Amino acid sequence: MHTSSVKIAFAVLGASLLAGPAFAQETIKIGVTQPLTGAFAASGNYVAQGARIAEDEINAAGGVLGKKIQLVIEDSKSNPTEAVGTVEKLIVRDKVPAIMGAWSSTLTLAIMPKIQEYKVPLVVETSSSGKITTSGNSYVFRISPTSEMEAVAFKPLVAKLGIKKADFLNTNNDFGIGSAAEYSKMLKANGVAIGVMETMDPKATDFSAQLTRIKASGGDTLFVTTAVEQVTLILKQAKELQLNTRIITTGGSNSPDQLVTQAGDAANGSFHTVFFPPWFPDVVTNPEPAKRYMTEWAKRGHEPGGLTEGFRGYDGIFTIAEAIKIAGKAEPAAITEALWKTKVKGVYGNIEFIKQGPAGSESGQNIPSVYLVKIDGGKVVKSGL
Amino acid sequence: MSRAVTLASSLSWVAFLVTLPLWMNDLYFLHVLIITGIFIVAAMSLNLLLGYTGQLSLGHVAFFGIGAYVSSLVSLGFEIHVWGETTVSLEPKPVWLAMLVAVMFAGLCGFMIGKISFKVRGAYFVIVSVSFAEVTRLVALNWLELTQGPMALNNIPYLKLGIPGVGQIDFIGKLPNYYLVLGVAILTYVIIRRLVRSRAGRAMIALRENEPLATSVGIDVTRFLVLATVVSAGLAGLAGAVYAHYVRIVDPDVFLFIYTVTMVIMVVTGGKGTLAGPIVGGLIFGILPEVLRGFEVMPEIQWVVYGVLMILIVYFLPEGIVPALRDAWRRWAGRSGTPPARPTVVVEAQP
Amino acid sequence: MDQFLQHALNAMILGGTYALLGIGLTLIFGIMRVVNFTHGELYAFGAYMMYMWVMLIGANFMVSIVLAIALGVALGAVIEIVLLRRLRGADIDTTMLVMIGAWIAMQNIEQLAWSGVAKSINSPFPSAPLVMGAISVSWTRLFVFAVAVVLIAATNVLIQRTRLGKAMRATFQDREAAALMGVRIDTVHTATFALGSGLAAAAGALLGPVFVVYPTIGDLASLKAFAIVILGGLGSIPGATIGGFILAFMEELGAGYISSGYRDAMGFLLIILILLFKPTGLFARKERIG
Repeated sequence: MHTSSVKIAFAVLGASLLAGPAFAQETIKIGVTQPLTGAFAASGNYVAQGARIAEDEINAAGGVLGKKIQLVIEDSKSNPTEAVGTVEKLIVRDKVPAIMGAWSSTLTLAIMPKIQEYKVPLVVETSSSGKITTSGNSYVFRISPTSEMEAVAFKPLVAKLGIKKADFLNTNNDFGIGSAAEYSKMLKANGVAIGVMETMDPKATDFSAQLTRIKASGGDTLFVTTAVEQVTLILKQAKELQLNTRIITTGGSNSPDQLVTQAGDAANGSFHTVFFPPWFPDVVTNPEPAKRYMTEWAKRGHEPGGLTEGFRGYDGIFTIAEAIKIAGKAEPAAITEALWKTKVKGVYGNIEFIKQGPAGSESGQNIPSVYLVKIDGGKVVKSGL
Repeated sequence: MSRAVTLASSLSWVAFLVTLPLWMNDLYFLHVLIITGIFIVAAMSLNLLLGYTGQLSLGHVAFFGIGAYVSSLVSLGFEIHVWGETTVSLEPKPVWLAMLVAVMFAGLCGFMIGKISFKVRGAYFVIVSVSFAEVTRLVALNWLELTQGPMALNNIPYLKLGIPGVGQIDFIGKLPNYYLVLGVAILTYVIIRRLVRSRAGRAMIALRENEPLATSVGIDVTRFLVLATVVSAGLAGLAGAVYAHYVRIVDPDVFLFIYTVTMVIMVVTGGKGTLAGPIVGGLIFGILPEVLRGFEVMPEIQWVVYGVLMILIVYFLPEGIVPALRDAWRRWAGRSGTPPARPTVVVEAQP
Repeated sequence: MDQFLQHALNAMILGGTYALLGIGLTLIFGIMRVVNFTHGELYAFGAYMMYMWVMLIGANFMVSIVLAIALGVALGAVIEIVLLRRLRGADIDTTMLVMIGAWIAMQNIEQLAWSGVAKSINSPFPSAPLVMGAISVSWTRLFVFAVAVVLIAATNVLIQRTRLGKAMRATFQDREAAALMGVRIDTVHTATFALGSGLAAAAGALLGPVFVVYPTIGDLASLKAFAIVILGGLGSIPGATIGGFILAFMEELGAGYISSGYRDAMGFLLIILILLFKPTGLFARKERIG
């Protein structure tokens, strides 16, 4: 009796599994894994929205290889194990030939062994940890800058801002720890004293204990590395505790416009590194795609605060689409090969990949621009980087 | 149904599951079955506590997570600073040994929780068990040097077994892991079946039904509670270890309360205190998400459905699906003239 | 010393809302014998209602708090009437399973309704803090503390001075005897659950503007409420009040001087220790366990 009922369940299941790929012939699927819920939800959703804009733009222009592209977006719930699960699904079930993801460095590092196991190329749109492109995974192509690139770009500002003693507050994951390590190395080399290095859980919401200790340390500058949700709270709570140091956020996922709306005047006087400054679209390398992206973003009514994040998904999908065009077929090996020859005029700048990591199994790394902006009087202004 | 029929039914089930990959070549479906199987093993181990001793242990995921972490750490090796310059380090060990250590360590934790469970009962025990799981999660999250915290333990090695006459088997990919999970599930089933049918098992059930009475007839309450918790924790640890070497990544969220809840739902829906209950419940809740996905149901709606289903089951099928089916079967069999089956027969007919 | 004073002040402020959470849960357990897993969801509900009224509808901040609490009371009453009334007399495990089911359903409905992205709520208070020498505190947090103290006092008055409170106390001591004396048990249960839920919603509505609101904030709130209730002894209102403050102090000092990562672990470690050495909690009168 049980046997037969379970068999029926299997039959139903089999039918539903088969129903999926029926229209797979007419489209080329591209996998996207992003944190749409959980601690990094805001950023992950912005990236997914940017990716959707690219999808529609590419399809409106006739698609790729005469077919439309179709994004399959999976939610990694801001959790590394879930992220691995999404990649498993995208490759084994949806049979995507290429994937974009996974926002946070920890999530990207988590899925990299899977990518290698199935030999499917991964375009990394956000993660900054150095390990991603130096660990010898030849299926990884990163369009975002590494923490090291960011720290080096920041160097001229150390003297300009007169930084003497710096404290750190960062998430205790690859993103935060990696960024703090690169920045503190650069600062030490430039004669800056390092005060306390405080960490926090990516899900924490109360930082009064850390900020109280940072206040006692007495540095002139606090470097903060985390996603926009926590940056908002840190700015507010720092003001409540009268922490009057200069706050600089690194990593580019700080959505200054969102900080202005959500943190109010607690955001005034803070500095933020970004990799696309939507307030000054004329300073970027390729103003044309930047303006196209911004217009569409506004037309769809997405949060203006997400502009500094969404472009990553927009560029990532364009990069994959271009690689498929060059490959001439939507197959993982051909796309991996083609990514080395891919050149895209994107919002990140002129995207192309240089080799990084151990010889023989190099990863691809793009070299984008880094900008530093300041929030002053409730507005985002240039700050000279 | 005679014993022979029962045996035949069990064997045909096993045969069906063993041959399944031969005609079902969808790898993704196999992946779903592997994960489901691992959760069924965990649910079966929870059933020993929840169903047979009547202890509502809501920290069960702690044993699962401990099994996963210990097995990963022993197979990866580690070095930690304990005091000043003193370090404790461990060279990477073979995976089978790591899994064994994991089972024993989880069992040891079960021993301690079992001791506590004698001291506090009811609501207090529930809260202690939840707190225990939460503490383990926070340790995994914050002891960066050992566990890598939110960065997760990555690149966990897979199981390699040298079998005489066959050579070495690498448990990587879907097919070998499917058979590994199937084997572990059958082993778990057999262990639990033997335990609950033994004198100790009867004592546990007596305990659940009427503790003062059981005590008065001389049943050593603590001993059996501790025994049940140790076995239950060890098996949950085994499930966790298998999980870790299959997905090859473990992060602190493995300790989340929601996974305990998943196991509880599986046991309660299937029928607590029955051998087949966790299997039926596990199959339903392991495969249902994939069926629902075919109808494009959002995961949140799916969880809402789970929550509501759980409430409805408690109201309308308080014993769970398996006992309800058993009763229906008995009524049907009784009406058609065959002698009513012994209450336990159908329930125990599954592997 | 300044650092200690600052930590102590932070703890004091947080303790008020913790106490609110704890009192709500302990009332429900003491009178109804229900381990309420939806408590944290009522907290999240209060926070989201605050977000809805303040940020989406644009209502006045104070009015929004009152509305959020009132809606929490109403939702609590609905849960009691729909889910718990028919389980009167069922054993504690059964009601616990129903409450777990309700918790999962509610949390995911919240996620559907508000999406997984964290929301922040603007507070009308100046962002410049109140400064007292080397230590400071935001006006929003001071306000939160004041309201929490008022609500705790009001709950005590309700329990000690009103007819409903008398009926609740009678039910707590002996349900059968109370029923024989003409206490309407159904009304008492509904009122208790509604009151407890209202207090949880109040805690959410008050802390929402201090932190951010996201669908799973209730989980930690639930677990902390459990810790507080165990600390104070199940069913004891003064115990829950003091327990709330003790937990806040332990967390804040632990985070400040030991490690900020183990902030949330303090409560649970405390629970395990207390249950090992004094299972009835620190302040409970003699009370049966279970």
